[in-house]
Amino acid sequence: MHKVIERILNLLAFLLTAGRPVTADEIRTTVAGYDQSTDEAFHRMFERDKGLLRRLGIPLELAPTDGWQVEHGYLVDPSAYALPDPGLTDEERAALWLAAEAVRLGGQVGAADALFKLGGAPVTASGEPLAASLNDGSVDLGTAFLAIAERRQLMFDYRARRRRVMPYGLVHRRGHWYLVADDEGTTKVFRMDRAEGVEAGSEANAFARPAGFRAAEFIPETSWEAGGEDLEARVFFDAEMAWWARRQIGDNGRVEELGDGAIRVIMPVANPEAFIGWLLSFEDKAELLEPGELRDRLVERVRGAS
Amino acid sequence: MTSPRTAKRLNRILAMLPWVIANPGASVDEVCERFGYTRPQLAADLDLVFVCGLPGYGPGDLMVAYIDEDEVVVELADYFANPVRLTPPEALSLLAAGMALLSTGQFPGALKTAVAKLQKAVLDVDEETVVVDLAEPEFVAELRGAAASQQVVEIEHTALATGETTTRSLEPWLVFATLGNWYLRGHCRLAGAERVFRIDRIRQVTVQDERFKSPETPPTAEVGYTPGEEDVRAVIRLGLDARWVADYYPVEIVSESADALTVRFSASDASVIAGLLLRLGRSAELVEGDAVRTKLEELRRRILDRYQ
Repeated sequence: MHKVIERILNLLAFLLTAGRPVTADEIRTTVAGYDQSTDEAFHRMFERDKGLLRRLGIPLELAPTDGWQVEHGYLVDPSAYALPDPGLTDEERAALWLAAEAVRLGGQVGAADALFKLGGAPVTASGEPLAASLNDGSVDLGTAFLAIAERRQLMFDYRARRRRVMPYGLVHRRGHWYLVADDEGTTKVFRMDRAEGVEAGSEANAFARPAGFRAAEFIPETSWEAGGEDLEARVFFDAEMAWWARRQIGDNGRVEELGDGAIRVIMPVANPEAFIGWLLSFEDKAELLEPGELRDRLVERVRGAS
Repeated sequence: MTSPRTAKRLNRILAMLPWVIANPGASVDEVCERFGYTRPQLAADLDLVFVCGLPGYGPGDLMVAYIDEDEVVVELADYFANPVRLTPPEALSLLAAGMALLSTGQFPGALKTAVAKLQKAVLDVDEETVVVDLAEPEFVAELRGAAASQQVVEIEHTALATGETTTRSLEPWLVFATLGNWYLRGHCRLAGAERVFRIDRIRQVTVQDERFKSPETPPTAEVGYTPGEEDVRAVIRLGLDARWVADYYPVEIVSESADALTVRFSASDASVIAGLLLRLGRSAELVEGDAVRTKLEELRRRILDRYQ
């Protein structure tokens, strides 16, 4: 491990001070640690070291060494390398550490690695009896985040089709990560755990986000509000389950008290399928009164279950 | 592939150097605390830095790094005066963690400004492009508080599968959120065993004066359903529209074809599976499981009676 670390520190010191692209050959003959190997061994070692640099977040680029573009060399731009200092205070770093201890995104990334870059923080057990997982099985959130931050296009497979979108924002709600993006002129919402083969475009600043964009506005608070229809339903809930219905409906419906604890609710429905599914979780303690067409669909669903 | 340990060690060196350069005269204790080092680990890393530098590799080309009495000294290393920018997964995980804790409404005071500064630095926008919403149901705050102060609580809880409401005394260990729901894990005195409750199904909480002792091993933040001997089992054929069930429930996949997925499902109560089948309508089919079939027929009859 010592040898690798020494070699990388030497390589990085050289690249950060060179001020010009340097070829692999020059690195081999100049930087300590690369000198005593065969061609093949050198290339294998160098490939591995490049991978390590990139994993650490170091922007290693390939650029022509002169105007003729005959030869290419490696370049680390010191201004791209440096973390823009967010100016955190020690209290703020400690607060972020606490948050990172309690909330996990999943995957390999340790919050400590990120916090060290920001100046470190006293590494202590939080003592807070709270844990939250934001992991919904999405594997490529980092790529989506990069594309949003740098306004790059984002490509991925979704429902058996390759998409190329302009990613505007990322929202975690109800246990899932949603991407809000412009797909061929329409702003759409994609569930990130259903996206595969996620890739960011090579060009930064490839589009402009609409002014005043607020990603959360595109993600409804309940599942039956996420859809293309515009219905209004009237539902009766028995006294026994009224508390549960109220809790789930929140501010998204008008509740009418019926005196004996039962309630009648008028609520907007954008996704009838999700709405019927939700109502059926009340078994016979709820009744969909109107519209009649939705009521028929519910009855049909119950008859069809097998 | 280089080992993750090497990457972590390098990451820490490349973060520690800029901080020491920016804070000359820093003490060993301070550097150790800030970057999670022991004194020997720090000394070993400084020794490594000492033999590295620029081509030529003579005195004047190499960096200077050592411990002088109680002070960490780093010189001739100005090219490492800046920390490395965050990788996208690092930036997102830190930002999302901060935002998630903010959305719970209970957080250290400095978190708000910390998240705002971080957001500005890594996203360079004021617009709300990344949002994390952990929407807490009622009582999460009370239960978090009771768990922190190790106070016994009395809860009124309704099990939705059976509709049964019970009042129980509980030693609350941990409040956790996963897949969009909040849970409480603790020792239930009514059951005389460890239990997990969904917090949105708790209807009342009373915090008692009595204190309890937390378990020695930290409780896990997982729902962790393990099928038991007495559980109801069923085999279900899921059509295309119902395949998500396999991602949400701890099922065992029996067979898979282009248009259907057949899974073995176990649950503590037949009504859980019957309720699910009802919601899935024609997109799923019960293949095996008499207890579930009986329950499904009973449920269907009750609901259709209501809609006659």
